[in-house]
Amino acid sequence: MKRIIAMILAVLMMATLFVGCGGDENAANGGATALEPEAGATLKVWAPDAALDVFKAQCDAFIAQYPDAGIKIEVVAQGEGDAAAQVLNDPEAAADVFSFACDQLNKLNDAGVIMPVNTTLLDDVVARNSEYSVQAGTLPFNGTDTLLAYPETGDNGYFLYYDKSVVSDEDAKTLEGVFEACRKANKKFIMDAGNGFYACMFPFTGGLKIEGLEGEDNDVQKFNDYDEAEVVATLEAFAKLFHEYDDIFESGEVAKIPSGFALEERTLAAGIDGSWDAAAIKNGLGDDFGAVKLPTINVNGEAKPIVSLHGYKLLGVNAQSKFPNAAQLLANYLSDEECQLERAEKLSWGPSNNVAAESEVAKNDPAISAALAQSANSIPQINISGTFWDPMGNLGNNLFKEDAKYDTATLTALLDKTIANVRDE
Amino acid sequence: MKYIDYMQLNPFQRFWYNFSSAMKALPGKLKNFFVAIGALIVKFFKGIGKAVAGYVSRFIKGDWAVKISYLIMGFGNMVKGQFIKGLLFLGLQIAFIAYFIFFGWGYLQKFPTLGNVEQGMQINPATGGYELMPGDNSMLILLYGVLTIVLTVIFFAVYFASTKSAYAVAQQVAAGEKPADFMSELKDLLDNKFHVTLLAFPTLTISVFTILPLIFMILIAFTNYNKAHLAPGKLFTWVGFETFAEIFEMTEGASKGATFVELTKWTLIWAVFATVLNYLFGMILALMINKKGIKLKALWRTLFVVTVAVPQFVTLLLMNQMLQVDGAINILLMNLGLIDKGILFLNSTALVARVTVLVINCWIGIPYTILITSGILMNIPADLYESATIDGAGPVRSFFSITLPYMLFVTTPYLITNFIGNVNNFNVIYLLTNGGPTTENLYQAGYTDLLVTWLFKLTMNSQDYNLAAAVGILVFIVCATLSLVTFNLTKSAKNEEEFS
Repeated sequence: MKRIIAMILAVLMMATLFVGCGGDENAANGGATALEPEAGATLKVWAPDAALDVFKAQCDAFIAQYPDAGIKIEVVAQGEGDAAAQVLNDPEAAADVFSFACDQLNKLNDAGVIMPVNTTLLDDVVARNSEYSVQAGTLPFNGTDTLLAYPETGDNGYFLYYDKSVVSDEDAKTLEGVFEACRKANKKFIMDAGNGFYACMFPFTGGLKIEGLEGEDNDVQKFNDYDEAEVVATLEAFAKLFHEYDDIFESGEVAKIPSGFALEERTLAAGIDGSWDAAAIKNGLGDDFGAVKLPTINVNGEAKPIVSLHGYKLLGVNAQSKFPNAAQLLANYLSDEECQLERAEKLSWGPSNNVAAESEVAKNDPAISAALAQSANSIPQINISGTFWDPMGNLGNNLFKEDAKYDTATLTALLDKTIANVRDE
Repeated sequence: MKYIDYMQLNPFQRFWYNFSSAMKALPGKLKNFFVAIGALIVKFFKGIGKAVAGYVSRFIKGDWAVKISYLIMGFGNMVKGQFIKGLLFLGLQIAFIAYFIFFGWGYLQKFPTLGNVEQGMQINPATGGYELMPGDNSMLILLYGVLTIVLTVIFFAVYFASTKSAYAVAQQVAAGEKPADFMSELKDLLDNKFHVTLLAFPTLTISVFTILPLIFMILIAFTNYNKAHLAPGKLFTWVGFETFAEIFEMTEGASKGATFVELTKWTLIWAVFATVLNYLFGMILALMINKKGIKLKALWRTLFVVTVAVPQFVTLLLMNQMLQVDGAINILLMNLGLIDKGILFLNSTALVARVTVLVINCWIGIPYTILITSGILMNIPADLYESATIDGAGPVRSFFSITLPYMLFVTTPYLITNFIGNVNNFNVIYLLTNGGPTTENLYQAGYTDLLVTWLFKLTMNSQDYNLAAAVGILVFIVCATLSLVTFNLTKSAKNEEEFS
């Protein structure tokens, strides 16, 4: 009777197998002459939770453009921070069109799960978006530089938010001024100095730059020929300032910034945060809302502008999408001037679109103009190795920690080790 | 040493005596272990030899129907009147062959290289869009290759069973008996063979959801599936033990080898302390609650156990917030005037963070120990304590001489599982510190990272899947060795009769 059980077992296993492999091969799709969405296309879109409603409305407007095609779109919440990881987990089940931060692009490209921008739409996309945002979406593909995704925003970076009742516009020009104003009011200055995304501003301000990836497998971070003494001097200046003002300087999650501003009695006077929190901070500060590009820091008498990492949000099309044409058209639509303007208005997302960036909406929004101003003093967040973030975060931690030494020798060793760890040497 | 001598030693000497004798016995035990494994392997091959011999001899001795059923499964059963059974065998054979030809073989033949055609995307002039030209997906080849191999093994087991069944039914007919019909065999499954019926479902699910993925994951450690070889865009292939060599690579600075050693040390320290502290404090609390003369026992028990009501991850995230530099705990301490600056509990030095994590873990773990131990404590015969008191033993003496041995005897298996659970305690570390405080001396890890959270970072941050799989295998080896050795040293394994 053991046989019967063995048999039933085997039959069951096979049954599960056949179920699993049922509808696998339907890759064929008819070639249309002009780019038209496939009839009856059903698409899935990933957008961040806060923007879900806006995206839903915009997708409905897209459907209305093609009344005969019978398109169905489902918008699902998915943070941009780990969109690439989610796509890699199971490309087949991932969204057809997904929003992601541009540093994930090389991962997506390496894994071959992102489909480049349709060539019939390409010229238009390149022309209407800012040069840097197009650069951020471009990587070598089949041997040539190719635009792989549609620029969605131009402001995925961070800058200074401040409470105008405490920090004057003049104070906000230098980091020392900001700190001094904070101390006078006995209010905090918050930034996430232990997070690689923000902490890389310290060496970047001293002249360090990332220049893409190199190496046999194209997975080693390349740095420029930086002036070690200058980078270290800058790190030292930051560390000195953080220690000198350790009563008001606090390193913590950026989420504390909007919540601190929103309190009846505001606990902080200034902070470094990105455009994603602009709406919440504006709510909290009301008329006292101030946003400006990052201040300068005094390094041995020279006022250096702080250089940040500046990212772009991109809309990608899944290479395994069953309806690639519809997905391309949708991504194109969602990233065009009109949709970007709407998001600038409703979500304070800074546009990458040239016309939208010059619009009244963008200009009148201090957060968007601060982000766009900061982008001039920034390093584009492209082609970054996954090993970049943790060592940079550690570098930041070691600049403000109470018991951390910050003499030249210590910081030189720290910088060397950080770079070695990023490069996995 | 005689028993009387042993009784005169103080607890430390006793511990030393036990420890050293255990260490002395260890080589012998290890030898026995390997001898036993060798014997098992020999037995396995002998069994296979016997099976093959039986297979051949049944073919020679069997009649024509048996001989045909060596080629067409179930034929012998059908000829002898067991139609349904025969048909099931036959159906199975057809299904397997169909699976193998149409699906399995395609993956299996690429299994040795894990594929050689890379995926491409070309512009389709008609739409201007890119068209995907699917290449080999190394990951799917690995997955379905493993599946096909496992299914083939299972199929051969069934095939073997079918020839045996054909021969058995032929013997029955030759002896003049009536072969059992299908219904009676089914009924037998609810009667004599009920254990088979009961075990079928768990076996099936464990094979599909545990064993198959396990084989798959183990095999990944022997490939170069990392950030430079991501499926489906790139191919990866077998590299043998290269990945393990990479883990033990010692270079200057934050090498993977140094990180592995440092994290292994901390993982073991953490596991020992987390287990022992929870166990001791939990038991002491349970004892205090159970003590005679304590009023409102139910109230105390509820109060101490109520932390279980809050899900663990919620507690941990809350604790993380409370321990921040401007969190509730620091504010409280400052308001009390004990400190004048916030303490970075989770992000200053390794020692502070490690101690904090251990203390927080007590908060989470002690209630469970209370729950488990109170019941057992109440079961210790009261006369043991009474006679100890008459002999002049104080409470401390009774604890070490009666309570602790009794508890250890009953709860050693629990302690071992707890220890292993702590080695792999992902939640506490990940949610509380996320591995911090950070350091430039470890590769993609912080001071409180356990091997398992490092493994997670390797997969999620730097896509080094092969490294992570290799680390996972090493963690398993450490856990398995430790638990086997400890379990074999315990009293519960040695003399099972003692307290029952």
